[in-house]
Amino acid sequence: MTTYFIRRILLMIPTFLGSTILIFTILQMAPGGPLERTIQQLQAGAMQAGEAVGSVGDIMGGGSSVLPESALRELKRFYGFDKPVHQRYLTWLGVWPREIKHREVEFHNGALEAQKNVGRGTYMTLRLKGDQVEVLDKDGIVSKLWKAAIDEEGSKENVILTTIFQTEFSGILTGNLGTSYTYDQPVTEVMAPRFKISVFFGLTGLMLSYIVCIPLGIRKALNHGSAFDFLSSVTIFIAYSIPGFALGGVLLVLFGGGTFWDVFPLGGFRSPTEVWESLSLWGQIKDQLWHAVLPIIAWSIGSFAGLTILMKNSLLENISQDYIRTAFAKGLQEKRVVWVHAIRNSVIPIASGIGGVIGVVIAGSYLIEKVFNIDGFGKMGFEAILDRDYPITLGFLVIVVMIRLVANILSDIALASVDPRIRFK
Amino acid sequence: MPEQQEISLSILKKRWLKFKTLKRGYYSFVLLLMLYGLSWFLPILINNRALMVSYEDELYFPVISGYYSGSEFDQDVPGEAAYRQLQASWKQADSDNWLIMPPYPYSPFEDITVKGNKMYDPPSRQHWLGTDNTGRDVFSRLCYAFNISISFALVLTILNYIIGVIIGGSMGYFGGKFDLFFQRIIEIWSSLPMLFVIIIISSIIRPSFFILIFIYTIVNWIGMTYLMRAEFYREKSKDYVAAALSMGQTNFKVMFKHILPNSMVPIITYFPFAVVGGISALVGLDYLGFGMPPPTPSWGQMLDVGLQNISKWWMVFAPVSAQFVTLIMVVFIGEAVREAFDPKVYSRLR
Repeated sequence: MTTYFIRRILLMIPTFLGSTILIFTILQMAPGGPLERTIQQLQAGAMQAGEAVGSVGDIMGGGSSVLPESALRELKRFYGFDKPVHQRYLTWLGVWPREIKHREVEFHNGALEAQKNVGRGTYMTLRLKGDQVEVLDKDGIVSKLWKAAIDEEGSKENVILTTIFQTEFSGILTGNLGTSYTYDQPVTEVMAPRFKISVFFGLTGLMLSYIVCIPLGIRKALNHGSAFDFLSSVTIFIAYSIPGFALGGVLLVLFGGGTFWDVFPLGGFRSPTEVWESLSLWGQIKDQLWHAVLPIIAWSIGSFAGLTILMKNSLLENISQDYIRTAFAKGLQEKRVVWVHAIRNSVIPIASGIGGVIGVVIAGSYLIEKVFNIDGFGKMGFEAILDRDYPITLGFLVIVVMIRLVANILSDIALASVDPRIRFK
Repeated sequence: MPEQQEISLSILKKRWLKFKTLKRGYYSFVLLLMLYGLSWFLPILINNRALMVSYEDELYFPVISGYYSGSEFDQDVPGEAAYRQLQASWKQADSDNWLIMPPYPYSPFEDITVKGNKMYDPPSRQHWLGTDNTGRDVFSRLCYAFNISISFALVLTILNYIIGVIIGGSMGYFGGKFDLFFQRIIEIWSSLPMLFVIIIISSIIRPSFFILIFIYTIVNWIGMTYLMRAEFYREKSKDYVAAALSMGQTNFKVMFKHILPNSMVPIITYFPFAVVGGISALVGLDYLGFGMPPPTPSWGQMLDVGLQNISKWWMVFAPVSAQFVTLIMVVFIGEAVREAFDPKVYSRLR
């Protein structure tokens, strides 16, 4: 059993690499990436300033460009597009050295040596040696910290362009998810508060649906075919047929819009900060709940139907088993047979499903977050795609993939620990 | 003898008879089939082009032949003839010219640029479900979107089934390295948040109906593939497969002539729920703005506009109700199909 789970955990590694490679390649290959977008924005700014107009293609080609070549190079370097895809991926993972603190150095007219100030008055000497560049510090010793390379693209007939840089290993494996382009903050800092919001909704919704669905499923199974069963089935079908975000929209119109009843706010996680901070603790709790009612209903409706039916069918199946017949034959009370014998076996599929549910719930539902305008994890990921904020998009996807992989294993562990018959090999 | 008659009924026929007894599902099925059939005739039912125009003893059929400029009927409007106004003015002038409009004379695309249309018109006798932010008739858009949604879900599901049966079937039937390889791919694929991948792809290429189906199939084939893999894997070890193989049947024939018919139950019972998934997915994508290109009528886009103008309740209620009614019919069908094909008999002891 332990070996099985160890193997499963090890198998996560290739799966993780596979899915990140896939995402990374799709994103990097996509046209209209952050580089082109920035160039376009700069160009639009230049056009407004009444300067010469050139198409994006011209700018990329470096012909009659609005952007100076060095600025373009700088941009490319900033977004990492000066390197081939595989190197970008490995750098992002943190297993290929990342080049930091770039500085450009030019060699004019066949000069073989150049000096460069690398900050705080420290001068480094660069020496050309064939197609290599050596970096020497002021004592004439080869520097360990600084490296240099020739920039083929930037070099011209009489000018050889080189860059001097330091390297470090930093990527997702070292916990560095990069810096967001749009928020201008480390990705982890952008994510943390939004993740908390999504987890709050996810866990509350999850708990709520378990509290409602399990008793409801049991009651439906015990009264199979009764009026109660029929009526609750209709409710469940209705719930199954409305996607959570659509229900959220209807709820907003009914209870938040002002056309009908003005009971709940139109959206948001809680009141704006100024209002929030002026509230007492009790006021804050009330405000939080007031904002959370509608989103949580929309959130839990998705798992509501599935869970209830699962509970009902599982209990029904168990009740028709032979061991229940035996229990009755022993002369046990119906109550005891159902609650002690049958139900314990019926919660097995529900317990095992918990991993999957957690995976779905915690990742956040950007549809619902969008409807209620909640600044959650899912909405952040969605907006990052729109803004071509690749560090956030990638960080978001990495976390979602991780959650799913872990949740799958959790499911199996839960299943194995509730059901003694199950032996994974 | 009555027993003999019962034996002669094929299993499929028995299931069909059973399905017919499940009223809720059966009537939903009939109704949905009728509505979907009818929705192909929407251009002659809900449209702003006249079915037939008689102008100075000459007959025109704008619905079929398309564009006529207003000047052709001596009407002083820019661009296409405005048939509703034409009808009214001829009636008023008691002229010999006449025209027949479709029963509901508003097209899903005509906005405020057409004279007489207003933005945010609440439901009325003319516009049954009001108009939207550009003055387009909500009811008309709703109906056209119904056709698109169902077609989308059907084509998507069938495509997924074909891929699922071929890949999943081969995985289960051949096993070995092929199975292992695709299992890894499926694991990678299923660890990705699919709607996000679709959004990424759709933000790169502006999707049309078929591109959207293609994208969605790429990410959505896993479920069916897994189902078919399990099914073929189980059936493969049965005696009839060994018998067929010992008689020299090819792998291809064994897979599709022998095993596939025996794996029909999960295929059919899963079908309605796959359709539900397809419809919901399209609504979600359209809502986010990554579905059908505008101005294609779609429930998701209508919901998006509705939620931006939350005080105009009809713009939210209309698409949600349409979607809800459609989905609940499909769910009813699904439940009845499951009951008919894969009945579970629960015996309550005591």
